[in-house]
Amino acid sequence: MRRRALQWLAVLAVLGFCVVPLLGQVVTSLLPAQALLGAATPSAWSLDNYRGALQGRPLVRSLVNSIVVAGATTFFCLVLGSMASFALAKLRMRGKRWLLGGALAISMFPPIATVSPLYLLIRELGLRDSLGALVLSYMTFALPLTLFVLTRFFREIPDAIYEAARVDGCTPFQTWWRIGLPLAMPGIASTAILVFISAYNEFLYAITFISSPDKRTVPVAISLFASDRIEPWGEIAAASVIAGIPLVLVTVLFQRRIVTALTQGAVKD
Amino acid sequence: MSSSCRSERAGARRSARKIELVVKHQPLGESDAFRRILRAFEIDHPDVTVVAEALPSSSDVAHQFFLTALEGQARDFDVFVVDIAWVAEFARAGWLLDLSPFVAPASVRRDFLAALGDAVIFEGKTFAVPWYVDTGVLYYRTDLVARPPSTYEELLQTAREAQRAHRQLSGFVWQGRQYEGLVCNVYEAIWGHGGQTMQGDRLLLQTEPARAALHYLQSLLATGISPPSVTSAAEEETRRAFQGGRAVFMRNWPYAFAETERQGSSLRGKVGLAPLPTLTGEPGHGVLGGYQLAVNAFVDRDKRDRAVALLRHLTSLEASVDLAVAYGRSPARRDAYDHPRLMSDAPLVAALRPAFERARPRPVTPYYMMLSDVLQGEFSAAITGVRAAEEALARAQSLVDHLMDAR
Amino acid sequence: MSALPSTGEGKERRAGRLMMAPAVLVLVAVALYPTLASIWLSFQRLILVFHERRFVGMGNYAFLVRDARFFSALGHTVYFTVVSVTAELVLGLVFALLLHARPPAKNLLRAAILVPWAMPTVVSAKMWALFFLGENGLPFFGISIFDVNWLGTPGYAMHAAIAVDVWKTTPFVALLLLAGLVGIPQSLYDAAALDGASSLRTFFAVTLPVLRRILAVTVLLRALDAFRVFDVVYVLTDGGPANTTETLSVYAYKTMMRGGDFGYGSTLATATFLCVLAMGGLYFLVIDSEEETR
Repeated sequence: MRRRALQWLAVLAVLGFCVVPLLGQVVTSLLPAQALLGAATPSAWSLDNYRGALQGRPLVRSLVNSIVVAGATTFFCLVLGSMASFALAKLRMRGKRWLLGGALAISMFPPIATVSPLYLLIRELGLRDSLGALVLSYMTFALPLTLFVLTRFFREIPDAIYEAARVDGCTPFQTWWRIGLPLAMPGIASTAILVFISAYNEFLYAITFISSPDKRTVPVAISLFASDRIEPWGEIAAASVIAGIPLVLVTVLFQRRIVTALTQGAVKD
Repeated sequence: MSSSCRSERAGARRSARKIELVVKHQPLGESDAFRRILRAFEIDHPDVTVVAEALPSSSDVAHQFFLTALEGQARDFDVFVVDIAWVAEFARAGWLLDLSPFVAPASVRRDFLAALGDAVIFEGKTFAVPWYVDTGVLYYRTDLVARPPSTYEELLQTAREAQRAHRQLSGFVWQGRQYEGLVCNVYEAIWGHGGQTMQGDRLLLQTEPARAALHYLQSLLATGISPPSVTSAAEEETRRAFQGGRAVFMRNWPYAFAETERQGSSLRGKVGLAPLPTLTGEPGHGVLGGYQLAVNAFVDRDKRDRAVALLRHLTSLEASVDLAVAYGRSPARRDAYDHPRLMSDAPLVAALRPAFERARPRPVTPYYMMLSDVLQGEFSAAITGVRAAEEALARAQSLVDHLMDAR
Repeated sequence: MSALPSTGEGKERRAGRLMMAPAVLVLVAVALYPTLASIWLSFQRLILVFHERRFVGMGNYAFLVRDARFFSALGHTVYFTVVSVTAELVLGLVFALLLHARPPAKNLLRAAILVPWAMPTVVSAKMWALFFLGENGLPFFGISIFDVNWLGTPGYAMHAAIAVDVWKTTPFVALLLLAGLVGIPQSLYDAAALDGASSLRTFFAVTLPVLRRILAVTVLLRALDAFRVFDVVYVLTDGGPANTTETLSVYAYKTMMRGGDFGYGSTLATATFLCVLAMGGLYFLVIDSEEETR
């Protein structure tokens, strides 16, 4: 009985730790501007800030942009990454260690510095101020991430299954398509979520490569949030809440998958 | 009324051919006067629609935005604001359209306040047109202070007395966060102690007035005249503290006055403006701030004329007065200060003219933003006590010399 | 794996290379090229805004070793990494243990734990800024934490930034550790219970040793990320006050974006990269040597 009570206490503490700052943001978003300047009671709550944040400003547009960019990044990373990871995990080749190590090394370079040459490269390709530029540049961190996680998952597939496929006459490509992908689905799903979230939240490249307001992604839209008011705290809070909803949805819907997949993947290490 | 409806419908039919001009500006306030000014331009130029896009109020953020956009030769805005601190930089980079054919340097010097000419004219060419000016002024509570202080001694004394009488009050709030505003506050203190900014081409930092200025600011914090929150405060934080009745004196730009005088403000009628105090009692020099309007150098040829026309419309006499009355933005034009409507509807703005004539610019150099980054760090170190003022100034001097000499 | 005729092996190798090619190509173009280009830039004085471009060889690096601000930034970065990773480990372990013990409202807990990690840093940092600004933030929140001017006092600001980072990444650490906890066979716990060990003793004698490898990997992963921290510091304090929260990435960013000096900025980034590479090499050795012994 006492154990249960202690557990509840711990659970509440952890819930509070995680959620209270967000609640603060929600409360801020519900208070009209004047109320924020002085003490205010809950009776002053209103949806004004949400109206202000959505009206006239391409916030919904940036939500769409973010989802499109994150989705495209995830798609390309999975396609390219799953092929490469499968090859790294199962096929006999030389230099696998170097490739994985190299990918790790490259992803460790501070994004600050790669911004500038990337910027010039993107300008040459005529992709400046396009969402394609973002997808391309997100490969810098998303692809190595995909490679690491998926390689581990592909390694979990027992060699026996792979042997059987090869004996059956399958080409490596067919083995990947028919056997590898289905078996590694949990890993692929969890990788997809990881990549999606990190692409969605990326800030530096997004603020550097995009300038027109209708191509901005969510983190940029929030940091460049401007309205007639000098410091629109309430509206920024409302915009943040709106911006955070897709992510909260994704994590709540897929939390079991994320956790289970990470758990399974690591158990056999 | 009906004729404008008709012309609107005609305009809508032609809207497929309309030229769209984008204006990037800083938030001005909650009145719709700015929109009306833009509509007036649209009515005069029926083939143009104007879209106004606001930038975040932080000047540094705006600077960064323009840096990345214009470096990529962005074309999605046509007319934009340029802080007085970056005009030199952008002009040197070639991002500002040479406006000399439309607005001759001589007319700029004639029509606008004195110090502004040097800020927008380089190599004999006009690169921007001043829009509104700003300078640092001292705000004081008329219900707590009989007479605004003219020396630092008086300021300290008055603040201490008020603080003794009202326990919860802060004496003097100013912008002490590590950002551009801090550099403004420090330079005002340096000038107040009799110092100069530059010697020829070189930034002058290791001087007695500079040391005294930093000591003074640091002592404000050490003796409790200024609350510790000053070191993380920018303009809005100090305004809120002052407007909430929590301070006796405030250093800020004139915009805050419109806020304190607003309907519903608890300080309505209790706020006065005065020149900054100095060592000797002469009226102090505020930093010359404000925004200019410029045309994007990469704008399409066929839009160029319209964009310049829009710029001239926004910097016209009528528009300047409108901005002053609606938003409290002090006009950059000389003749605006003699305009009857300004004198009647925005008397305090009119009264500020001497402050602008006294205002001094920060070092005018294309490298200013680089230098400012160094100065921000070292000044912040001095006022928070991380380094002694002498050491901070020495470090700043060597870094600044390195940046400007290594060419 | 059994031995196979060489033609099969050759075909497999070719297929393998083909399957890896697209990914390698993209990485080379988008990741390797800018990295090398950036290192090349570090040997130049490049002020983009003024079209100033000059090759200065080791000039930037010579200035780097004398640059007090660089060493301050390095110190701040190391401090940030050490404190933040330690806090995340301890807190993450606590969370993981809690999740592992089949707590009430497990699903809600799991979802809630993931949310700080999933929110964009810009959003969460702005939220935390509100709290830390105390009376400078919104008077509605009134309470300033311990009445300290967190973001304006040298020393305190760094810990504010660390707190935000810990809040944000503890969930991720917790999940990685949970994965390890799940892998501990129940038989070990049963044996400890038979021996009459208390839960504390079981923790130190059974749980920790088995977790050792996962702990090591987590520490290194997090350290690599923490060393390159940018978003949190940039949004929360912008490197202030008095540059006391300026980490290497922030210094590099300011040099490039505020000052426009891409040459020296690249030098700073390359220096950061070398440090991270050293740490990364360690990680690679740990992971790969373990894999090889399977």
